[in-house]
Amino acid sequence: MAARMKLKLKTVFVLYFMVSLMGLIYALMQLGQHCDCAEHDLPKDRAISRLQEELYRLQGQIRQLEKAKQPEKKQPPKSSLSTIFVITPTYARLVQKAELTRLSQTFLHVPQLHWILVEDSPRKTPLVSNFLMKSGLTYTHLNVPTAKERKLQEGDPSWLKPRGVEQRNEGLRWLREDRKTEPGDDGQQGVVYFADDDNTYSLQLFEEMRSTQRVSVWPVGLVGGMKFESPVVEGGKVVRFHTGWRPSRPFPMDMAGFAVSLRLVLANLDACFDGEAPMGFLESSLLKGLVTVDELEPKADNCTKVLVWHTRTEKPKMKREEALQVQGLGSDPAVEV
Amino acid sequence: MPKRRDILAIVLIVLPWTLLITVWHQSAIAPLLAIRKDEGGEGRREAGGQDSKEYCASDKDIVEVVRTEYVYTRPPPWSDVLPTIHIITPTYSRPVQKAELTRIANTFLHVPNLHWILIEDSQRRTPLVTSLLRETGLNYTHLNVETPKNFKVRGDTRDPRIPRGTMQRNLALRWLRETFKNNNSQPGIIYFADDDNSYSLELFEEMRSTRKVSVWPVAFVGGLRYESPKVNAAGKVYGWKAVFDPHRPFAIDMAGFAINLKLILAKPQAYFKLRGVKGGYQESSLLRELVTLNDLEPKAAHCPKVSSGFFFFFFL
Repeated sequence: MAARMKLKLKTVFVLYFMVSLMGLIYALMQLGQHCDCAEHDLPKDRAISRLQEELYRLQGQIRQLEKAKQPEKKQPPKSSLSTIFVITPTYARLVQKAELTRLSQTFLHVPQLHWILVEDSPRKTPLVSNFLMKSGLTYTHLNVPTAKERKLQEGDPSWLKPRGVEQRNEGLRWLREDRKTEPGDDGQQGVVYFADDDNTYSLQLFEEMRSTQRVSVWPVGLVGGMKFESPVVEGGKVVRFHTGWRPSRPFPMDMAGFAVSLRLVLANLDACFDGEAPMGFLESSLLKGLVTVDELEPKADNCTKVLVWHTRTEKPKMKREEALQVQGLGSDPAVEV
Repeated sequence: MPKRRDILAIVLIVLPWTLLITVWHQSAIAPLLAIRKDEGGEGRREAGGQDSKEYCASDKDIVEVVRTEYVYTRPPPWSDVLPTIHIITPTYSRPVQKAELTRIANTFLHVPNLHWILIEDSQRRTPLVTSLLRETGLNYTHLNVETPKNFKVRGDTRDPRIPRGTMQRNLALRWLRETFKNNNSQPGIIYFADDDNSYSLELFEEMRSTRKVSVWPVAFVGGLRYESPKVNAAGKVYGWKAVFDPHRPFAIDMAGFAINLKLILAKPQAYFKLRGVKGGYQESSLLRELVTLNDLEPKAAHCPKVSSGFFFFFFL
């Protein structure tokens, strides 16, 4: 009996030794060559963090220099640089974050710009909220959902129903409410521009629109199936419109082709976009209550330069993603795209 | 004798466990060090950015943030310490060209120490691109080389067998090698940025610390929400999370990697392969001459963030 017990103990020890040895080998294989690099990486890591510190220090210096440079300039801008209020409707789709990122990089170059971003959603989404917080822009985050019957369904062509109507109107409503709290002439100075999140804007455009007295207009590139659509200017006044589609509209222009002075928006509290208007008449539904063609102010060198383009984004092809999701192997949804 | 046997047994039991514990201890400490450094960096970045923000009470529906300093109309001042990022962008004439270049220039104007190398697919440098580059105020180099007709894509259809932009990118590499031949002490990073993609500003800061070749996830490519490198616990790339031919040596998009200038200068024969390249293998044709999987540095990897998007643009 004692002999058998001894044997058992020996086997146990041997097994124990083998198991721990195998565990050790397994652990070493998991780690790979990590240990070898540890020595070499430290001085380089130090160099990298030194460079990063230098970068932050320089960025801080730049900010200080800008602050120091601008005190003489900063007082006049309060009264001579009018604020541009940009109203952008947006909705959740795959390319939303990419579009907004790109747009914000343009807006960051424009002084005195206030971005009013209106989501087509019953609730403010974390993606947009976080994005706006990190953007560095002056902004207002609003949201209003489009009624179901007015919404484009999957597979509907984009021209079937007007988009962004409720959102732009909400932007106008907020602006009118907000300006009530700032009486006096300064609070009335500004320009309102409707910028969609997939267009391309040059920086010069914003400087051109700043001097708007009533409604200013300019050419828009790559819209309406044309190289550009534009008002035609003779003797400093708009006499007709160069467009390929329904030139009989009261204002045959794209949303990106005009800006309205804040004063005019506040003076006509009922003027807003009409969602029931026929296709292509959305811009006219707002402008006809504000101004006549005769009163339009042409910008961009008498409407000879294209400073904004009606670019569109192709929907990304997700067929492989869909195939993977069926198998339960789709991309990690926790990663925000 | 039993005593010696017992001692031997005890030693044999204890030895592997001590080795195991030592090794695990080392491997546990090293990543902790790395994480701490990252967090230190992040913390500083956040602090620098938030010193002028004010938040309204969030019981209102609307949150307003006022910020007045962060406005650049010129590129940021040149720093003698930061490595230069050389951005190689091939471009060609089409209706949206000016719009795309305008948009991407607005992005680049935010990045310090950026050098834009724009190569036109044309016989001569066009006045449109020449005046656009001059007006941006960016630090740039304007080159051109025309792709021979039998390589060009017909119309607008994208034929993946004909790699677009290859000759232009190779010309840029050749220009860099000739310009920095004698002066290879200047640190630089090379990034191939197409004119129709979307880039976050953090991407450029992530790539500045590239030692050889760094990689990161790219959105909307290969029919997926995003493609990305697969990174193991030791921080090394061991594979690719992609559906389109994941067994490519480097299953990565052109926008998903950056190369240190020193590496390009050290391997003067490395170019993109022009002929006989299968669709999706163009990136591999260059990278396999420069690095192995083991040398790759994953960025944005610990918290996989998608920093560049790849998609076509067209006008309607």
